Amino acid sequence: MSNTLILLIILGLGIVGFFLGRTRAIAVADGDARKLHSLPSYYGAHVGLNAIVPAALALFLWLIVQPFVINNSVSGMISDRSIESGGSLSLVMSDVRRVAEGLDAAVAEGAMTQEMASDMRVEFTNVRERLADVGVALGSDVTSDTLRAAQRYREMAGTGNVLKTLATLAISIGGLAVSWRLVTPHFRARNVVENGILLVLIAAASIAILTTVGIVLSLIFNTYEFFRLYPITDFFFGLSWSPSFSGRGGSSELGIIPLLWGTLYISVIALLVAVPIGLFAAIYLSEYASKSVRAFAKPMLEVLAGIPTIVYGLFALLTVGPLLVSVFGDDGALGVDWMAGGTAVITAGLVMGIMLIPFVSSLSDDIINAVPQAMRDGSLGLGATHSETVRQVIIPAALPGIVGAVLLAASRAIGETMIVVLGAGAAARLSLNPFDAMTTVTAKIVSQLTGDSDFASPEALVAFALGISLFVVTLGLNIFALYIVRKYREQYE
Amino acid sequence: MEDMIHVDRAMSTQQDIKISARKVQVYYGDTHAIKDVDVDIDDKTVTAFIGPSGCGKSTFLRCINRMNDTIDVARVEGDILIDNEDIYDAKVDPVQLRAKVGMVFQKPNPFPKSIYDNVAYGPKIHGLARNKAELDEIVERSLRKAALWDEAKDRLEAPGTGLSGGQQQRLCIARAIATAPEVLLMDEPCSALDPIATAQVEDLIDELRQSFSVVIVTHSMQQAARVSQKTAFFHLGNLVEYDATDKIFTNPQDPRTESYISGRIG
Amino acid sequence: MTDATSSAPAAAPSPAQRASLLTESPRMKKRNAAETRFKMYGVLAISIGLAFLVFLAYSILRNGIPAFTQTVVNVEFTLTQEQFDDAESRMLKTAVYTDIFVENVTAQFQEQGLDVEFDGDTIERLLGKVGGDLRSFYRENPDQIGQAVALQLPAASRVERYLQGRLTRDMVVDGRFLEVADLDVVDVMVDAGIIGSAFDWNFITGTDTGVDNPGGAGIGASVIGSFFMMLVVLLLSLPIGVAASIYLEEFAPKNKFTDLIEVNISNLAAVPSIVFGILGLAVFIQFAHLPQSAPLVGGLVLTLMTLPTIVISTRASLKSVPPSIRDAALGVGASKMQAVFHHVLPLAMPGILTGTIIGLAQALGETAPLLLIGMVGYVAREYPDGLTSGLLDPNSAMPAQIYTWAARSDEAFFEKAWGGIIILLIFLLTMNIIAIILRRRFERRW
Repeated sequence: MSNTLILLIILGLGIVGFFLGRTRAIAVADGDARKLHSLPSYYGAHVGLNAIVPAALALFLWLIVQPFVINNSVSGMISDRSIESGGSLSLVMSDVRRVAEGLDAAVAEGAMTQEMASDMRVEFTNVRERLADVGVALGSDVTSDTLRAAQRYREMAGTGNVLKTLATLAISIGGLAVSWRLVTPHFRARNVVENGILLVLIAAASIAILTTVGIVLSLIFNTYEFFRLYPITDFFFGLSWSPSFSGRGGSSELGIIPLLWGTLYISVIALLVAVPIGLFAAIYLSEYASKSVRAFAKPMLEVLAGIPTIVYGLFALLTVGPLLVSVFGDDGALGVDWMAGGTAVITAGLVMGIMLIPFVSSLSDDIINAVPQAMRDGSLGLGATHSETVRQVIIPAALPGIVGAVLLAASRAIGETMIVVLGAGAAARLSLNPFDAMTTVTAKIVSQLTGDSDFASPEALVAFALGISLFVVTLGLNIFALYIVRKYREQYE
Repeated sequence: MEDMIHVDRAMSTQQDIKISARKVQVYYGDTHAIKDVDVDIDDKTVTAFIGPSGCGKSTFLRCINRMNDTIDVARVEGDILIDNEDIYDAKVDPVQLRAKVGMVFQKPNPFPKSIYDNVAYGPKIHGLARNKAELDEIVERSLRKAALWDEAKDRLEAPGTGLSGGQQQRLCIARAIATAPEVLLMDEPCSALDPIATAQVEDLIDELRQSFSVVIVTHSMQQAARVSQKTAFFHLGNLVEYDATDKIFTNPQDPRTESYISGRIG
Repeated sequence: MTDATSSAPAAAPSPAQRASLLTESPRMKKRNAAETRFKMYGVLAISIGLAFLVFLAYSILRNGIPAFTQTVVNVEFTLTQEQFDDAESRMLKTAVYTDIFVENVTAQFQEQGLDVEFDGDTIERLLGKVGGDLRSFYRENPDQIGQAVALQLPAASRVERYLQGRLTRDMVVDGRFLEVADLDVVDVMVDAGIIGSAFDWNFITGTDTGVDNPGGAGIGASVIGSFFMMLVVLLLSLPIGVAASIYLEEFAPKNKFTDLIEVNISNLAAVPSIVFGILGLAVFIQFAHLPQSAPLVGGLVLTLMTLPTIVISTRASLKSVPPSIRDAALGVGASKMQAVFHHVLPLAMPGILTGTIIGLAQALGETAPLLLIGMVGYVAREYPDGLTSGLLDPNSAMPAQIYTWAARSDEAFFEKAWGGIIILLIFLLTMNIIAIILRRRFERRW
């Protein structure tokens, strides 16, 4: 039975439970709801929830656990010889799953009978061809090991599914029955239901933790896999990035240094654009601008922050890049031949800088506004001009907060993907020339995971190692920046 | 009122008149906060502005160094002359004026910088020192004048915000006098201070009279009596009475002054 | 600074300012100049920021608007019954239709005294598969046979670029797509006045095409893909986000666990979006074996990304409901849960909805995570047929579609990408305007 159907049945049981519970509550109270501790619908909700929640949780857990159990059991059947010829256990296992899916598809389409699928032997049947007929393409011929494993896989999955259906439905009906019997006038249904709701609320709040855990685990596991295939020191200290395109290891050089350099270089250019413009804009808006100018210019600048990054990416690739080439490139306005192509560090940096202007300006604006008026009065009262006050009193007073804002912007710049994917180029190189194309950590995560390389190959897994480096750096920057900003806020509270 | 001003003028001819205000009106948006204030303030004298909350005394004080310019909705009419020059003349730069008319605020507001930098700030921006030695000297002199030197001389590089409330206020006074002003405006300088710190600041004000014309706004009549030579009583935006402090407190001419002094309004 | 001070600077607070207030000292002049300069920097910074915005808007509009119009050739065409029967009896039926069309148009040119020779291949290069289109038209509408029909035939994108002046004769290399001689025919068509332009509905309603046919590519299917993703995001992130916020704002005790949740939420808000893509790939596709490129997976990933935004704004609106409301409810004997769900939540709803719409708008424009879950490699040629297929069948989404077009080597797709951006921005603008209206309309001042 499909999971959706099971879930629907459980939900149906829940609804039935609600009405049963409600009816019974009214019945036990002899039709007078005032005799009950709680409103009748709370009794109904209690029965309904008991029918749904435990069963749904059980179903969910089963879905997570079953593949593990089957994988472990099935992978025991695979001989070392097959692992050697297949590359690694995980590669062979993915073949096994593919064959199993293929057999399922074949049975579903009626191309094979259930018995045929279970008894098939590579010695007698060309499995690859048979599966290709039903639209499942396999990369290589199926070995007997793989086929037997696949058949075992199907068998276990089939048994598992039957058990799953029975178990979850039993839990649902059991929950319904037990809670139905609990309905008495003194039963505190409301309190129980409310506690249940509270648990749901807590579970919802915990999703934030689960997400973080999910991110960390998915990064760590795959990074670990990667470092088993590729030396960790070569990754962190390698000066060259040139993945082979064969897809299965080979002579790839996967050093992160050139990518970090590109990331850093682009981020620095972006900050060189965004920080002065953003900061001066914030100063002008909070210290000088009249109300009407502020009411117009502030939201207009913030529009820049609401534009999706893909738009900036396209802007970099198709507008800014060619424009810069027409100035700095061959036959350019300056007559210098510095820039070979539109995609370059300067292109991405410039556009990213534009994107970060509102980020810097609105954060700095808040921070400058948090500087007490008394500071301004004190300075103006001494005969300082407005700009002297800003430069020598307000900015120093706001400096920690502004540093925090710049760090947040830096973390944005480092994690930005679309602008660099489209605007920075694809070649990893260690160069000082801002007109060169370079690439970044984020751009390479994209290219390594969207390419054709096999998922278990170091060329794909390296993306996770890049991802964890990116995650650690941006998280560190964020925590540090938020800490600084908070300290700063406390100073004036 | 007419009489009063006559008397007043006769008196002040003996001393230099530093500030003279004529028909000053201040509006905050639609509110008429100061109405027709005429006053002459003497040099080398402490003048106290007293009156109930919201009577306009602080507002008038802020007119004297044009701090009201920093508030968008405030509008000042009439003439205020310092050394016979109209400070609201279009040619006057408020920045230059404020260097001449220093101000100390209600709440101590040292900059988040070192004690030294707090005091040196004014001289630096006005270019009063040609080198570090001169600047050191100005800082020391100002701190001594503000009776803070002994407490602060060993910790000049410590942040000014780390001082106690009374010390902070004296630091602000030192900061104000470091720019060598001729008039010093003080807006309830002791309201945030404890009695001991208040006494120290009051002593200081008395000494400052040697070099400056001091105008102090205060809530406390006792304080006005202790530190000032002349007192002006403001009520609902009007200058009700202005005379020698002794006279105001012992023999007020206006019934409103009398009510306030005896505690019936305010 | 006056001479007096410079000669005796160390003297007591000496009357440096004895000079009249009415004259500006030289130092003051300098300081005021510095003030003006400083202010100018501010004005400059704002102007630069706004100039970037204008420049961005200009390049989007300039490059994108042509995507909405299409160059068309208007021809009056009549097919006789004999011609129809004849063509249907032949082997290469569409070729016959093409030939009939060529004859027909040539005749029209000659009437106008224009002379040019061309064949069916030329027509196919210029106007696409005219023969096939004609055949299917007449097979579906047999009653039109023998009558004059006004045809509006979309011109190939290269013809369009030639007419716009972006493609010149010396740039054309004879090839499968266009030959230099074809341009003579185009010139004649211009002289004959049969070339016009029309609104390209296909761009809005159509689906993506392969790399060969930039002219026919439309964004429709990916709009639907985005729609299904947003449906998932809305259905998951709104209840989860609201539940989480209610817990944190109303029930959570001050303890380590609550702190942990808070820290996690604020950090997730700052995690680069590409990392969420990695999460989606590893957890939803690798681990849970959900289908690649499916809007469901995209929606799940975007839900996780949007949650922090929604939680933050929901908590702010819950916070803005004054405690007196809670006290009033508790005072009549409602439980805490009832007070929150019956009184606080309804009052906070406008704020929550505003925050949700803004969160959705962010999610709608997000691209990077979609790259990793396979929405970009997929060419969305078909509309999904129903809810399940909409959620689970591979599709593209607006930003992913834009990226796909931008990454293609044929420059003709760039125009489509810009056009796609206009559509995307229209959606974002609409959502933000709705949010602003909601806020204005229902904002309550306590």
